[in-house]
Amino acid sequence: MWFRICVLALAVACAGPAADKNTLTPAARQSNADSFEYVWKTVRDKHWDPKLGGLDWQAVHDELRVKLDQSTTMEEARQIMQSMLERLKETHFHIVPAEAYEELDKPGSREGNPGIDVRILEGQAVVTSVDADSPAAARGVKPGWQIVRVDGKELAPALGRIQESFAKSTLLDLIRTRAVTSRLSGAAGTPVKADFVNGAGKPVALSLDRARPRGIMARLGYLPPMYFWTESRAIRPGIGYVRFDIFFEPEQLMKAVGDALKSCGECRGFIIDVRGNPGGIGALAMGLAGWFMDRQGLQLGNMFLRANTIKFVVFPRPQPFRGPLAILVDGCSASTSEIFAGGLKDLARARIFGTRTAGAALPSVFEKLPNGDGFQYAIANYISQGGKPLEGIGVIPDEEVKLTRQQLLAGQDSVVDAAVSWILKQKN
Amino acid sequence: MNRHFAGRNIALAAAVLFATGAARLAAADDLPKAETILDKFIDATGGKAAYQKIHNEMTTGAMTIAANGISGTLTVYHAEPDKSYTEINIEGVGKLMEGTDGKVAWSLSAIQGPHVKEGEEKADALRTGRFNGELNWRDLYKQVQTAGTESVDGKDCYKVVLTPKEGNPLTHYYDKQSSLLVKSTQTAKTAMGEFPVEQTLGEYRKEGEILLPHKVMQKAAGQEIAITIDTVKYNVDIPKDRFDVPDEIKALLNKK
Repeated sequence: MWFRICVLALAVACAGPAADKNTLTPAARQSNADSFEYVWKTVRDKHWDPKLGGLDWQAVHDELRVKLDQSTTMEEARQIMQSMLERLKETHFHIVPAEAYEELDKPGSREGNPGIDVRILEGQAVVTSVDADSPAAARGVKPGWQIVRVDGKELAPALGRIQESFAKSTLLDLIRTRAVTSRLSGAAGTPVKADFVNGAGKPVALSLDRARPRGIMARLGYLPPMYFWTESRAIRPGIGYVRFDIFFEPEQLMKAVGDALKSCGECRGFIIDVRGNPGGIGALAMGLAGWFMDRQGLQLGNMFLRANTIKFVVFPRPQPFRGPLAILVDGCSASTSEIFAGGLKDLARARIFGTRTAGAALPSVFEKLPNGDGFQYAIANYISQGGKPLEGIGVIPDEEVKLTRQQLLAGQDSVVDAAVSWILKQKN
Repeated sequence: MNRHFAGRNIALAAAVLFATGAARLAAADDLPKAETILDKFIDATGGKAAYQKIHNEMTTGAMTIAANGISGTLTVYHAEPDKSYTEINIEGVGKLMEGTDGKVAWSLSAIQGPHVKEGEEKADALRTGRFNGELNWRDLYKQVQTAGTESVDGKDCYKVVLTPKEGNPLTHYYDKQSSLLVKSTQTAKTAMGEFPVEQTLGEYRKEGEILLPHKVMQKAAGQEIAITIDTVKYNVDIPKDRFDVPDEIKALLNKK
């Protein structure tokens, strides 16, 4: 899931404003026709709903194929294929311009970063956390600082374009955030210039080294390596807190949660923070939920493939935590994070704090089309236990709490504070 | 794990629905009885006496999901009368374990946590855990029926439907010429739902006096898993606690 989202972000970040105005050559026309047919057939043969919700897919083909044959530019052809996918009225079916897709073929080129996390708050890119011992920490970067430029390029125009394109999408926060973090990322050991506005409102220009990301490198099959970390602490006596960056490394993740619960002692409440967590191994949502569920036979939701339905069943741990559970989410919480938070919300087992999640809970894959463009398509649907899909909707918090720059500058995390406040009000 | 029905428990399997067609096809007079086919299979793979010499075994191998680049190692312990323990280690995932002591059937992994199997899922695990299940099929199935013939990878096969005392039937395909089991299908009933499972068995080689498949291809829930058997040892010293129910499972049982 995270990979798919990364591509979308890159597509936005890297696509130039100028469309290809050249008239298509016969070879390009043919490759667009081949691409059109490939996209159409793939949806017909692999979409989880063979009836496509009653959509007359053949009619869509016949209508749009004529238009494709009349198209005179690459951009026009691409738009026709995208409009074919839009007839499905589902997200995660996209034509990705070739230039953005090509960026993905440079593995490792974006591995390093200066050690800061970012969110877009009131239209501004704001540092929300700084990794300890990171280059950014060494140079004194603080949460709440605004990032104005990266390598001399203003962020505002790009963020504005994304805002316009994705204003109605649940993916907006995620794509805007990735547009900034992807600019900060690059090969480890290389510098990036960032222009900040600090807490006193003064400009600060820094050249920050990019370092190997925090955590251990986690691998699973053909997924590109990712860095995994967990952190846990007592927010205050009797309130435990766990945060991790991806749903990977099952044994380490479960040990971290188990240890945090143990060390919580007479635990009054527990907080799991999946803000910024893009997902990972889907089944881990079930395993994690098992620490907080006492009843057998409950499930977080169902994943619908074309031939099978997979129940996301929770197997309770022998001694689960039964007290108040708060889950923190934001617009960059996606996929497995949403399955976990959404399922426990639907089961009335957790209270959700933060902002609406990314609504990106479909497993999807990427392929290359004959014309060089990328083609993203989902292979299954996921319905949370409350009966609603997470896709395109996301998890809507029980308590919407937004971060603000002023609070970050004051060293506060309003989302954590809201969760703690709720826990303290609960009866033991 | 039954040697020739290998991999079935890895998919947490059960059986396949074939009832209607089976009843109709079985009426054909020229088909051998299922009992005969199953007994011939025992003869072809070593004979009753060879099976009866074995009281436990340890199998090692590898599993691969090629499409996703996922691979792991596999170790299976199996002992009379009905004890089994399977451990799969996958890079990036960790240990997946399951087993039975003949009474409790369980699975345990970091991904999903501890699980005590119930109902048909348990029945299937207990059946699969029966040592020398191939030899003792009469104890495990209330009905076996020849359901016709079918070609599997160019081999003419007898199709035999085996109906257990509890759970869905499964279908085995026996090569007419060699009498070896070459394919089985079933619908696995698990806590996560029902999944059709198909497995093909090949690369038969002798381990001791028993002819065993060393390659099993399994298709389930859109995944294709290859299992390769590397070593098989019989009548080995298995650690005393190998088949003990893990503490986390015991803790769950104590809550009931």
